[in-house]
Amino acid sequence: MVDSALNEREPKLDRLQLVAVALLMLIGALFIYSATMSTSGAVALPWQDQVWIRQMVWYALGSGVGVVLCLVDYHTLARWAFVVYGAAIFFLVLVLIPHIGTTHGWGAQRWIDLGFFQFQPSEFAKLAFILAAAHYLSRPVEELRERRVFWRGIGLIVLPFVLILKEPDLGSALVLIPTGLVMMLAAGTPKRYVLQLVGVVGVLAALLLVDILFAPPRWQVPMQTYQRHRLLVYFGQDFAAAGASPAERAQARQLQFDKSYQVTQALISVGSGGLLGKGWGKGDQTALGFLPPGAAHNDFIFSVIAEEEGFVGSVVVLTLYTVILFTGLRIAGRARDRLGKLVAVGVVTLLFSHVFVNIGMNIRIVPVTGIPLPLLSYGGSSVLCSLIALGLMQNVHIHRRGY
Amino acid sequence: MIKQRQQFHRTLGLLGLVLLAFLGLGFRLLDLQVWRHEELVKLAEQKSLQTTWHPARRGDILDANGNQLATSVFVKTLCADPSLIGGQQAVVARAIAPLLQMNEADLIRRLTPRIVQNAKGERVTNGLHYVRLQRNVTDETWRKIKTAMSQLTFGVDEKKLSRAHRTFLRGLRSSAVFTEPMDDQLRVYPNGMLAAHVLGFVGTLDNTNHTSELFGYDGVEKFFDDKLRGASGWRVTGTDRRKNELVAMRDEDVGAQSGLNVVLTIDAAIQHIVEGALTNALAKHRPQSITGLVMRPRTGEILALASFPSFDPNNLSTITTNTGPNRMISDVMEPGSTFKTLVIAGALNERVVRSGDPIFCENGVFRYAGITLHDSEGHHFGNLTVQQVLQKSSNIGAAKIGIQLGADKLYAYMQQFGLGAFTGIPLPHEASAGRFVHPLKGKYSIAQIPMGHGVAATRLQMAMAFAAIANGGELMHPMLVKRLEDSSGRVVQSYEPKSIRRVVTTGTAKEMVEALKTVVSKDGTAPLAAITNYTVAGKTGTAQKVVDGRYSSEKYLVSFIGFFPADNPELCISVVMDSAKEGGRAFGGSLCGPIFSEIGRRCASYLNLPPDAAPTAPVIATALTRNPAHTP
Repeated sequence: MVDSALNEREPKLDRLQLVAVALLMLIGALFIYSATMSTSGAVALPWQDQVWIRQMVWYALGSGVGVVLCLVDYHTLARWAFVVYGAAIFFLVLVLIPHIGTTHGWGAQRWIDLGFFQFQPSEFAKLAFILAAAHYLSRPVEELRERRVFWRGIGLIVLPFVLILKEPDLGSALVLIPTGLVMMLAAGTPKRYVLQLVGVVGVLAALLLVDILFAPPRWQVPMQTYQRHRLLVYFGQDFAAAGASPAERAQARQLQFDKSYQVTQALISVGSGGLLGKGWGKGDQTALGFLPPGAAHNDFIFSVIAEEEGFVGSVVVLTLYTVILFTGLRIAGRARDRLGKLVAVGVVTLLFSHVFVNIGMNIRIVPVTGIPLPLLSYGGSSVLCSLIALGLMQNVHIHRRGY
Repeated sequence: MIKQRQQFHRTLGLLGLVLLAFLGLGFRLLDLQVWRHEELVKLAEQKSLQTTWHPARRGDILDANGNQLATSVFVKTLCADPSLIGGQQAVVARAIAPLLQMNEADLIRRLTPRIVQNAKGERVTNGLHYVRLQRNVTDETWRKIKTAMSQLTFGVDEKKLSRAHRTFLRGLRSSAVFTEPMDDQLRVYPNGMLAAHVLGFVGTLDNTNHTSELFGYDGVEKFFDDKLRGASGWRVTGTDRRKNELVAMRDEDVGAQSGLNVVLTIDAAIQHIVEGALTNALAKHRPQSITGLVMRPRTGEILALASFPSFDPNNLSTITTNTGPNRMISDVMEPGSTFKTLVIAGALNERVVRSGDPIFCENGVFRYAGITLHDSEGHHFGNLTVQQVLQKSSNIGAAKIGIQLGADKLYAYMQQFGLGAFTGIPLPHEASAGRFVHPLKGKYSIAQIPMGHGVAATRLQMAMAFAAIANGGELMHPMLVKRLEDSSGRVVQSYEPKSIRRVVTTGTAKEMVEALKTVVSKDGTAPLAAITNYTVAGKTGTAQKVVDGRYSSEKYLVSFIGFFPADNPELCISVVMDSAKEGGRAFGGSLCGPIFSEIGRRCASYLNLPPDAAPTAPVIATALTRNPAHTP
């Protein structure tokens, strides 16, 4: 508080980033309204149950938490990193226990029902991981060269990765990998190690993919059918096995049609938007439920924006994210120490992974995974975590001169 | 510092990566939203609109007093989804088979999906999600089936079953048996066979979308099909992905317009009288066919029109080639002696003869132009007046009058009376018999045709010609339809009696009526056609049928056409019987006369016609033994 008086000339906060965040929240509220209010059932709900109002409440709560976090120096916070990490792991285990975790009928056990709030531990685990990894990797560079330290770092990634994969939530688990790798790289872990790691991960991923797409059923790794279907849809593979009878083949083709439905409709939504879009609240694809009502305001909110605001709207959203990411990297570059830098880099990578994968699956350049679009997608956990992450980044910025 | 620079480079690399990735996203967006926009817009529009049809209710057919002769009820088509039934076919079948009056085993078979070969020789599962169980299920039955399905029990304690199993049973109860979304119409003829040949029947046309529509196949149903049918409504609407309609996205919504009701001139009670009399005759004489017609001569309104053998339009399997045609309008026959009436009317009208003029009947044998004419056996008439020629139905007398009238005039009168031309009755399949009515050729035609031989007409044409004489010489259009009204009873179109032409003068007509009155006297050919308390005018006809190109001596077409009260005619009645098997020698007077009399008596009583004759003694039994004149 005292040092603020000493730095009158330089702004305490990264204002540009805050403006971008505020605009994204505005867009989020507007289009969640548009995506949900077009279905006749939603209009009849009492105001406190309407999705866009709830989203605004989460924005307020998240901003509040973010501001509170900025009051405490991130060094103080980092001391609690492993406690937070331990808590996150605890919740990740808890969610796997039947009757504590709920599936919401989706076949994946990702939520803990708190009544007023569907708590999604994996979202918080990502944050906890960034904090813990930043704390762990901020040790002197010389130590990072040690194999032992390196492998422990890997362990730090693998533990939440496996637990989240177990839910299963492949998407959330996978974003941990680039986040972890980039943080290692930024910390100064020898390039050799990181490249080896990238190689191993790449080979493993390639093997997995080949196995799923081409191996006979008996050789395939156990996987949730919906996950396999999503991958088959993405790679345009026939659902039917090689020796299938015509009846089975027809059934498989129908299944393929059904499973590709969401992706195809999202693509049509985006494409039908054109240059300028159909106008706010006028997206037929959403209104007519071709974009499934359950998904339009969640993972497919980008399709809604793209349909209603067109190419221009899409580019605006992309630009706002670019601003956040670039300012984030600027914060990293100006950070007082490696801890701050790593926190900022971690947050930037996590946000980027989310944005890229989510928008990518909306326009079919990435397979469908249940990854929300930060700040725009509806969801308490996601919004809270995004805002806390941004708060951490601002914290690094505010305390960049910790005299 | 080297560390600093390395880190700076790494950050820069990261920045580049982010930029590259976002440029990739941007490029893809450009591709989708700008370059491929048109194509995707088409895809988006194409599937969100849906057209549904509202069926129009087919109009009713009513009799002159508003009684329903044909009506439509909406019925459902019952279907099932075997995939929801699982292995419980037997339970379902036991519950609903009695309600559908279906065989339980048959129902079980239908509820079981089976593997069949399709046209391409591939083996496919048939009826996995959809089988049609029964059509024309009434609302009431459907309600019962719904109740029965929702109360199915499977003999297990369901609280102990797994959740999935319970869900399955719930789905089975609520959705395994369902109805088509669009109701069908069932055409109902409440009076069964009554007026079947007038009404006709309907066929069902199956559309590809599991709906069906009715179309008229015969009779009034066919002739007025476009009026009865009405216009379907439609709805163009946006739908959501489950094809549920979105009310807010409704573009067009046009209600169905019900078909018009057709109000006939037919009086169900009179139709019933006629059909009753004909049915009795059918049992008694076992003819090949029999027809009856009751008409108001002054307007041409047809009050009853019946043709037997008949059918039940509710049950199309009762229709055979034998019941098929409406013989009244589609059978072309040699009329026989009834035709003499037209010849003599023409001759009187041209003043070639007068009704009192004597005609020498050659004592029963008349050679003319190489052929020999006979009067019916046992008769060797000398001089007969023109009136008596009609009364006794002398072939030779009629021939001589015809010869006096001349070939051209005879042909002209045939045409004037409407022979060889369509009467214009609003029914399909009417014959004109124009092929058989032409300028007279050959030397002997002029002697043959006057006795109704070598000329042909439909029963309706002959009846209309008689009605013209009854109507003071004016030929009327036959009327079958009084008016068309919409479903609320508002008259859309009404039909009025229409005269075609004056054929003979009122004076001639009066003379003819006087002559025809004598036919039913005890000296005439049809004393059995008399109706107590009414004076009847009419004429018998007995025509030998042509079998294998020769006149048969066993098969006769016998007829009686008459009207009453003779001087103030209310009803004109025609009865024609084809090839009676029982009743001895077949004569129009003895076979059709009593039927005419019965129909006339009961109609007069029903219509409260004022009597115009003093009560006379009942016709004596000896009349039966009298040999009426006979014409070949």
